[in-house]
Formats: sequence, structure tokens, C-alpha cells
Amino acid sequence: MRHVVFRLEAFRYALPLGAVREVVVAPERWTRVPRAPRVVRGVMNLRGRVVPVVDLRELLDAPRPAAGGPGRVVLLDRGRAELGLLVSDVDGVEPLELAGPPPPRASLVVKGLARLGVLPVTVLDPDALDAAVARAFTNG
Amino acid sequence: MTAKPKTVLVVDDSVFMRDIIKDIFGAGGFSVIGEAGNGVEAVERYKELKPDLVTMDLVMPDRSGIEATREILKADTSALVVMCSAHGQETMVMEAIEAGAADFIVKPPRAEEVLAVVRKVLGVA
Amino acid sequence: MAVTPPDSARYLALYVAEAAEHLEALGRDVVRFEQGATVELVDSMFRHAHSLKGMAATMALEGTEALAHRLEDLLERLRADVHRADATAADVVLQAVDVLFTQVRAAAEGRPLPDAGPVVGRLAALTASLSPGEGPSGAAPGEAQPAPPPAASSLGPEAPTPGRVAVRFHVSPGASQPAVRGFLAYKRLSTLGAVVGLEPALDELKAGRLPPRGIRLELETSAPEAAIVRTLRTVAGVELEAIGPAAAPAPAVATSAGPERVAPPTIRVRAELMDAFLEHAGELLLATARVRALSRGVPEAQRPPIDEALDRLHLLVKGLHDEVMRARMTPVTLITDRLPRAARDIARLRGRDVELVVSGDDVELDRALVDALAEPMMHLLRNAIDHGVEPAEHRRAAGKPPRGRVTVAVSRQRDRVVLEVRDDGRGIDVERLKALVSARGLASPEALRAMSEREALLLVCLPGLSTAADVTQVSGRGVGMDAVKRAVEHVGGTLELESRVGEGTTVRLSMPLTVAVVGLLLVEVAGETYGLPIANVCGVVEVSPGAPAPGQGAPLVAWGQGVVPVHELATLLELPSSQTPAKGSPFVVVEGERARLALAVDRLLGQHEVVLKALARPLDLVPGLAGVTILGDGQPVFILDVARLTPT
Repeated sequence: MRHVVFRLEAFRYALPLGAVREVVVAPERWTRVPRAPRVVRGVMNLRGRVVPVVDLRELLDAPRPAAGGPGRVVLLDRGRAELGLLVSDVDGVEPLELAGPPPPRASLVVKGLARLGVLPVTVLDPDALDAAVARAFTNG
Repeated sequence: MTAKPKTVLVVDDSVFMRDIIKDIFGAGGFSVIGEAGNGVEAVERYKELKPDLVTMDLVMPDRSGIEATREILKADTSALVVMCSAHGQETMVMEAIEAGAADFIVKPPRAEEVLAVVRKVLGVA
Repeated sequence: MAVTPPDSARYLALYVAEAAEHLEALGRDVVRFEQGATVELVDSMFRHAHSLKGMAATMALEGTEALAHRLEDLLERLRADVHRADATAADVVLQAVDVLFTQVRAAAEGRPLPDAGPVVGRLAALTASLSPGEGPSGAAPGEAQPAPPPAASSLGPEAPTPGRVAVRFHVSPGASQPAVRGFLAYKRLSTLGAVVGLEPALDELKAGRLPPRGIRLELETSAPEAAIVRTLRTVAGVELEAIGPAAAPAPAVATSAGPERVAPPTIRVRAELMDAFLEHAGELLLATARVRALSRGVPEAQRPPIDEALDRLHLLVKGLHDEVMRARMTPVTLITDRLPRAARDIARLRGRDVELVVSGDDVELDRALVDALAEPMMHLLRNAIDHGVEPAEHRRAAGKPPRGRVTVAVSRQRDRVVLEVRDDGRGIDVERLKALVSARGLASPEALRAMSEREALLLVCLPGLSTAADVTQVSGRGVGMDAVKRAVEHVGGTLELESRVGEGTTVRLSMPLTVAVVGLLLVEVAGETYGLPIANVCGVVEVSPGAPAPGQGAPLVAWGQGVVPVHELATLLELPSSQTPAKGSPFVVVEGERARLALAVDRLLGQHEVVLKALARPLDLVPGLAGVTILGDGQPVFILDVARLTPT
């Protein structure tokens, strides 16, 4: 199954191609969302639409980056409403098969592990991501 | 322009807005001979300068543009007063027209429109 | 002929809309019918049932068709014997209307039609009882359609009246405030003689409505045509289309705004399509502003032609936007028409004797506002009848007429629409209301003492208070007033209360005509830009706050005759606090949920008119945000819901 493979620093993650609408360069300036949960990086103007973007690092509790480039935004295809995920960079589209279950104590949004050559790739579950973001907002 | 330039009195409580309007008139070959920042001043300056045309802001301190227009027209029935309105002030502009205003322009003023309106009003098209 | 299933989806929306209209009209007729049935009224009811039957048959909705048919039968009988129409008949008809409504709703949602239940039996029984000697399935009533009304008189090709000139002109596309321009031309022409005909009517023009086909004016004048042409030429942005001797006067098109006015042809458009039009027109405005912002980077020498092209583009887009907004204007009757029926139901249920007077229903406002107001208006009506108007015996004891009176008045006041619900009931006892608020700890005694009458009345809208049962006793109001206030403010309106103990209460809603374009005061705080709706802003203060008042957390700032508490906007928004309020940092005084408050900001960025975009999931879950817009520089900016900013 074809996946969009992207990175948070050196770590690789993937989402099924069907769940991704497009990938865009992250804006240099964000509009902060006041009173929003910590995982929300801000909103961006995507061709006239205002799209909320979630920092995938915060969502996965991944380590903070040593300052890097602006990063990329992976836009999830979820009907009319849109949601972006902020990541470090996008590698491309690769065929991936799940090779193993999620590691113990992994986030709920992790579906399992796959391999790209020798490299490990964490495969994410788009619906669980959506749900996690919604949870962050309602609890937050 | 070969003829003597037509004279204009610009009334607006915003200096910024007056400057913009003055520049438009300058570029269009008109001569701005005076300014006023409120309605009372507008009436006084009109009587003193007798300009060919007045541009009048609608909302100002010390007598509104509509009242000032009424006063000016009372003093000089042939006075030509062009109202400066903004989006959403349609009702007030119509009131000013009822009161005798010759025409109106809409802020932010666009040179092309202002000059077209003013030339029509002055008959110098 | 039935529509085949694949096609039916296309027609369903139209069916639902039109069926609902017939049912609402029918419900209205029943209310009048109770006050005295006439043949004309029963005729009208019959026509609605008949139309609905035909539509349901076309949609192959047999349950609805059958029920409408039964109703039609009953009305047919009643028509022949109007004096037999009584409260029982009205009740049965209303029941049928209610069931038909649920069926239409079910059809809209693609659910199977709910069973008509006992109402079919009641209809049949009543029909039978009205026709001695004939069973309910007696001879089918002939399709005795009432004669079509005489065609509205039109401009006949009669001999022209001497001295009467017809002028047709239009406002140039792209002109600012086209209706005002049309008005100016009308005014100028009226100096030449008497205006004996005007299309659109003068009040339409004054309300800013200008049909795309232009303006037609008839002038009784001794001036030659050339003089008229000359006069029109002195008005900028107006183009003459035709001029010539007028046909004989046609009273129907004269300046009268009466109901005989010939309606221009109309088409039905799906509501969601209108929303999409508006959204796109709004996007175009934003995109144009964006291009203009970008063009500032172009070298000075190349700017003029670009600016000119942009001006033209902006005018066209603005014109398009205005036209779409106009197309969305919906008569307020969509709300007011429901009120008599609702008033009747509430009054019956609560054992009140109430007369409802509705006025000013020719006002139009944006469809979104009509939708947003339907529920609050119903609430206000319910409050007025249920909690405002006293039972008849109490009224008699108080020396009032036993029958209560509720007035709903809609009027247009400049650029706003004002809706007023007034009752002559028990009124609000402000002192007792304050005592209750104080007892519940919802406000401090000092704050209550400092309140003006107007502010104190608004206490009935406090969230914690208005659901409490005992408030009903004190205020004759209560239930859901907080929801009403919020709904009204959400679409840029304001709510005011007036009340006198023993004399009654008036609730006044002041709404903008349209919602999509809002005026904002842009402010900067902690490096971010936010928009405050102008409708909520009372003013701006640029002084440093005084020392904190003893015993209170928030510092105060002088405003008007009194003081208002200061809140750091950065803190309210949970932003990393910028700096401590510098001396002279500005405050924006806004109308909060409970009282006025001053928001400390870093900088005022000025007023802007923006296109409001609704918040999509999950942003709509964030409290305190009313919407979002995109400024000319491409940056999204949130619009704050001022009433919900303060911690509750």
C-alpha cells in the first residue's frame, strides 16, 4: 500500500496516501490560535482557506528539534474541514507493508511499524490522529 | 488645462483624508484653495472663499456634514457640495442629497471616480 | 405521474421547501379561521392542501398524498358550510398540518414517512359528520378551482398622455453605492416636473435595492426631452437607455408600495448555493486585497496601470459581492409568519388569553440572520406569553384588561433591523432581580449598586441565573435569555431590555442587515493581531489604569461617568504576556457578557471591514472565537467573541 513518508528530525513516519490531500511548505509566520491546546501550532492561509495545523511532535511527545527550517505541512483529507500536520520534511510516496505491531507504550495514533529498506518507519492511523486532535480540543 | 482652474474647498475632520483628496484634485488640474476640519469651519470658510465646489465629509464633530451643507446652501443656493461618504452610509448620503448636495463620492476615494464626479458636477467633462 | 427514483433526489429539496411553505400558510390560515371562518379563507386552505397533494403524488410520497387528500376532503365540506367551522375543526386541521410537517421533514431526511395515525380517522369522522347522508368517501369533489385572479393590470398600449415622459436609465457597472446614484438621478430629474411613476419604488431605492434592469421613471413635465437628457448627463455614473412619451398611467406601477405591486419574476435557488455564492464572492474580495498588498512591491513607475486595473477589479468584485448579498435578502415574514400559530399554541397550553399583533413584516434581512433569529424570536414570544402576561384573573385584579397583548414589531432603522417583542405583563422587578443575583453570588453587591437600570435588567441574561425556576417569578422572563442574547450577539446583533413593574417588558434586538461583512477594530497584543467586532466596541481609552481598587483584583479605568475593570487581553487569550501594561497603552472598552470591561492591548491597528469566515471543526470548539478572516497581507486573523472572553 502506498504511503506518504515524512520525518520528524531523523525519525520516519508514514500515512496512507489516500488520507493525505497534499503537502505544502510551512508558512514562515503563523497565526496563533488563542486558548487552543498545546498541540496546535496555529492556523495557516492555504489559498484563501484557514487551516488549523497541529505540531506532530507535540502530539507524539517527540523531542523538540534543534531549530531547523520551516518544515512541511501534511494536509489530511477529511471531508470539508481540513487539518494540517507540521513535520520536518517529506521524503515521498513509497509502497509500505506493516511489518509489526506498534511498540509497547506507543501513542494511540500509531498503527504499526514498517520498513523502508533497512530504515524503520512508524505508520500512523489517520482516524486516530483526527480523534486525538478532537480530544485535545475538547479536553483542553 | 487652458481655462482657469476650478477652485475647491475640502472639508474633512481627518487631515490624512484631506491630503489624499487634495492630491487627487491637484493631479486633476483643480486648485484646492482651502480646507476645513469641521462643519462650523466649513460654513465660515465657504463664505469667505466662495469656491466653485466643496467636498464635504458626512460625519464630523461640531455640526455634521449634512447640516453644514444645508447652511452653505442657505447662504448660496448655487453652491455645489459633493458629499464624501463611506460604505454603509447610504442612508445619510440620500439625506444629504435631499438637503441639496450635488453628488457624492465614496471613501476610500479613487482618483478616477472623484474626478469624474466633480467634472460632471462642474460641467467641465 | 410519479417521478422515477433516480430523478426524485433532484426535486426533493424543492419539494421540501415548497411543501413547508404550503403547510406554514395553512397553519396561518387556521389561526385566522378560528377568529372567524370565511369562504375565502377555507378556499385558501383548500388550495394549499390541494397543491401539497399534487406535489406529494409527483414525488410518489403516498402517505402524504393520502393525508393531504383527506384534509382536502374536509376543507371541501367546510367550504360548503362555513358556519360549521369551529374550534374542533381547527384543532383537527392543525393536527393534520403537524403530521404533514413531520412527513415532509422525514422525506427531506430520506426516512420512511411516519404513520399519519389517528388524525386520518379524526379527519374522516369530522368530514362524515359534516355531510349528513353521505359517507366520508362520498362523491369526489369536483376540481372546482376558484377562478384565477384577474391578471394584474399592466402597461397597456394606450394613447400616450401629453406631457408625460418615460425615462429608462441604469447606473454604470462598477459605480460605488449604485442605489444612491440612482436616487441622485431620480432627485435631479424630479426638479424638472412631477415624478408620477418609478420602478423600483422609492422606498426600495432608499433601502439600497437597485434591480439589474435599471430604473424606469415617468415624469409629468413641460420640459422638452432634450432638457431631460441634459439633466441626466450632469449625473456621473448614470447612463440613459431610452426616453420617450409615456404610455397611459398604470396605477399598479405608480409609486405605491401597496400589495398590488406587480412582483418581478423570481426563480428559486437552493439555499446552500446562495451560501456558496457568498463564500466565493467573499473569497474574491480577499483575493483582490491580497493582490493589492502584493502590488505594493512593484516599482513606482509600473504602479499606475496596475493600480488602475486593481481598482477596476475591486469595484467589479465589490459589485458582485453586494449583488450576492442582496440576493440573499429574505423577508422577515419567514420568522413572523410562524408567530401567530406559536402564540396560539403557547397561550392555549398555558391558559392565557393573549392577542398577538405583528407589524412591519415587509422588512428584509440576510438569510443567515433570518435563520439565526427564528429560534430566539420564538423564545422571546414564549417568554412574553408564558412569563410576562399574567393570568386573566390577576390582570383583572390589577385593573388591566383581562386579555394580554403581545406586540412584535420589525422595522428598519438606517443600516439595522430592529425586532421588538413587547408585552403588557407583569414587568421586571429590578430590585428583586438584584437581590436574587446577589444571593446567588453572581455579582458583588458593589457592582450591583453601581449598575444602571439598563445594565441591571440585562442580569436576566446571566447564564447561571436564567435557567433558574425562581427567576420566572421575579422577572417574568428568564428561561433561555442567555441563549437568546448569545445567539443574537453571535451574528453581530445587540439585545436591550426595557421594563416597568406592572406595565410590561420590551425586548429589542438590533441586527445588522447582513452578516458576512463585519466592521472590526484590529488590535495587536503579544505580537498577534486580533479583530474586535465594532458592534461590541464602546470606545477606546489611552490612559494608564489607576491603582487597583482595594479588595478587588482588576485595576480600573475611568470611562464615561464611572469606571470599568481592566483585563489584559493577552491574559484572557492565554498568550505569553507581552509586557506589563506600559503607561499610555490603549484600552478598548467593550460590552462584555455581564458588564462593560476594558481590554488592555499593545497597539490599535485601526478599523477594517472584513469578510467573516465561519470556523471549521475543531476551531469552533475554542471558546471566545467568533470567526476568522484573512487580511490583505495574507495573514489569517481571528475575530473575538467579546461576550465570551471573560472567565465565567
